[in-house]
Amino acid sequence: MKAFKILSAGVQTTIQDLGRHGLMKYGIPISGAMDQRSFVIANLLLRNLDNAAALETTFQGLKLQALNKVTMSIAGADLDPWLNDRPAPQWTAFTMEEGDVLQFKKRKKGLRAYVAVQGGFDVPEVLGSRSTYIRGRIGAPLGVGETLISRPFDPEAAEDVLTLPREYRPHLDRADPIRVLMGPQDDYFTPRGIDTFLNSTYRISPQCDRQAFRTEGPAIEIAKGPDIISDPIPLGAVQVTGDGRPVILLRDAQATGGYAKIAIVARVEMDFLGQMMPGDTIRFQRIDRQKALDLLYEETQRLNRIKDLLT
Amino acid sequence: MDDIYPTIREVGEDSILVEYEEEVSLEVNRKARQLAFGLEEGLFPGLEGVIVTYRSVMVYFDPFRVDADTIRGFIEEVNATLGEIELPSPRLFRIPTTYSPAYGPDLDRVAEHTGFTPDEVIQLFSSQVYPVYFLGFICSLAYLGGVPEGLRVPRLSTPRSFVPGGSVGFAAAQANILPVDSPSGFNYIGRTFVAVYDPKQFPPTLIRPGDYIQCPAVSEKEARLAGERHLGEFVESFQNP
Repeated sequence: MKAFKILSAGVQTTIQDLGRHGLMKYGIPISGAMDQRSFVIANLLLRNLDNAAALETTFQGLKLQALNKVTMSIAGADLDPWLNDRPAPQWTAFTMEEGDVLQFKKRKKGLRAYVAVQGGFDVPEVLGSRSTYIRGRIGAPLGVGETLISRPFDPEAAEDVLTLPREYRPHLDRADPIRVLMGPQDDYFTPRGIDTFLNSTYRISPQCDRQAFRTEGPAIEIAKGPDIISDPIPLGAVQVTGDGRPVILLRDAQATGGYAKIAIVARVEMDFLGQMMPGDTIRFQRIDRQKALDLLYEETQRLNRIKDLLT
Repeated sequence: MDDIYPTIREVGEDSILVEYEEEVSLEVNRKARQLAFGLEEGLFPGLEGVIVTYRSVMVYFDPFRVDADTIRGFIEEVNATLGEIELPSPRLFRIPTTYSPAYGPDLDRVAEHTGFTPDEVIQLFSSQVYPVYFLGFICSLAYLGGVPEGLRVPRLSTPRSFVPGGSVGFAAAQANILPVDSPSGFNYIGRTFVAVYDPKQFPPTLIRPGDYIQCPAVSEKEARLAGERHLGEFVESFQNP
C-alpha cells in the first residue's frame, strides 16, 4: 500500500531495521537502527515483528503526507512531531487519514526518531536486511517526492491502541558516564593516558554520523603507535587517532582499521549513544566484563517486559 | 618451545581476539586464515562469526550461550593442529585494467619517484600477482600485498577526498582495487570496470582471503567491455609460482 509521500526529507532520513549481521568478514558493517530499543518499541506498538523496516529520522525537518489511511507510531528522540495543526502522539500507535501531514518541527530531546508503519516499510532486502548503508550503495537517504510503500498487514491483529507507559520510556538526557570495557590495545597508552581517558570530559565534534563520533578534549598520551597492523573493529570500539582524541565507532563503521583501540563501549550503552549529537559531552567509566554482561542481561529483561506488556 | 603466540584476549562482551606474530607476511597470515577456517568448519556451539585480518582473528560468540573460557578452549583446540588444516585452493582473478593516462592520476608521479618510465611502471605493476590477505574496511575491499620492491611509493601526504570506484593503485607494499568511490591516500595508476563488489549478490564479492589478483593491462575499450561481465568470468585456478 502507498503509505506516504515525502514533502521534506529533513536532515537525514533512512530506512533501517535491526541490521545486517555476520557479514563483517566481507567488509560489510552491521548498520541498522542506531537506537535499537526505540526502534523495536516503535514496531511493538503496531504488533509488527521487531525487525520490520522503519524510518530513522535525524534532528528535524522530515515532513510526510499520508497517501492512505495509515496506522503508525513514533518512538525515540522527541523531535516535536505535529500531525496537521496539533502535536502528534509519541510512544503510542495512532492513525493518519489520507492527506494528513506529519512534520518534525524541532529537536527537543535526543537525535533520532523512529517512524514505524503497520506491516513495516517495503524496500528490497539486501544481504539479509532492509537497512540503508549509504557508503556501500545499499539504499540511500530519502528524498523529496519519494513515495513510501508499506507491506501488507492484517488489520484484525491490531484492534486496540497500544501505548508504552511513561515509566518504560528510555531516558534520553541521562548524564551518567558511558561505561566501557578496556582493551584490546589499551597497552598502547601510558598509565597517564588511560587516566586522561577515564577522567576527562570529551565533546562530540561536528564530524559525527552513523559511522563514528569524533571528539574534542584532552589528548590521551600514547606509549606506542597509535598505528597498529590493521585488525577487526568491533561495534563501539573507541580508537585513538594520532592527535590523541578518542573516536567512537558506530553501526556504519568500517569493518577493519589501523588505529589502537583503547576500549569498547558496553553494548548496553549503544542505544543511548545513538541519541547523542555534536556538542554533547561524554565521560567514560570502566567496568569489567561480568558487569557489562549483567547490564546487558537486565536490559534484555526490561525489553522482554515491554514485549509482554504490549502483547 | 617458548612461543608467546598466538595471544588470546577477550574484547568487549562477545568477542575474543587471537593474534599471531606482529608482522605482515603471508606465512603469519596463513596461520590466521587456518585458524579461522578451522573454527568455521568446526561448527562450535555459540560461535557466531570469525573475521580474519593480516595477523589476527576476531571470534564472535553469544555470551548468553557460551562463556569466553569455552571459546578460548575451541581456539586452543584448533590452534594445536593448525598445520594440518587444509585451506581451500587459491584462485587467480585476472581483472582487465586500463592504464590509460585519464585513469591514472598518479602514474607520472610514481614514475618520477621510482625512476621507471610510465610504461615500465605499468609493465611491472600489471605483470605482478598480488595475494589477498583479507577483506575489510568497507564494501569487501581486498587487502593486497606483494607490490614489487622497486615500485614501493609511500601514501600521499594528503589523502584525496574522492577516488572513483574501480581505481587500481598501491602504497608501499599494499595494493587495492577500490570497490566504490572513496577517499584514499593510495597512488592510483589504472581503472577496472569489472565490479569487484556487488551487494545484490551473496557473498558481495567472490574474492576470498588467500586468493591472488592480477590487473593485466588492456585498452580502455577492452576494459569497458570487460566491465559488462561478471567477476566470476575472470577467475582461474592458481598455480604457485
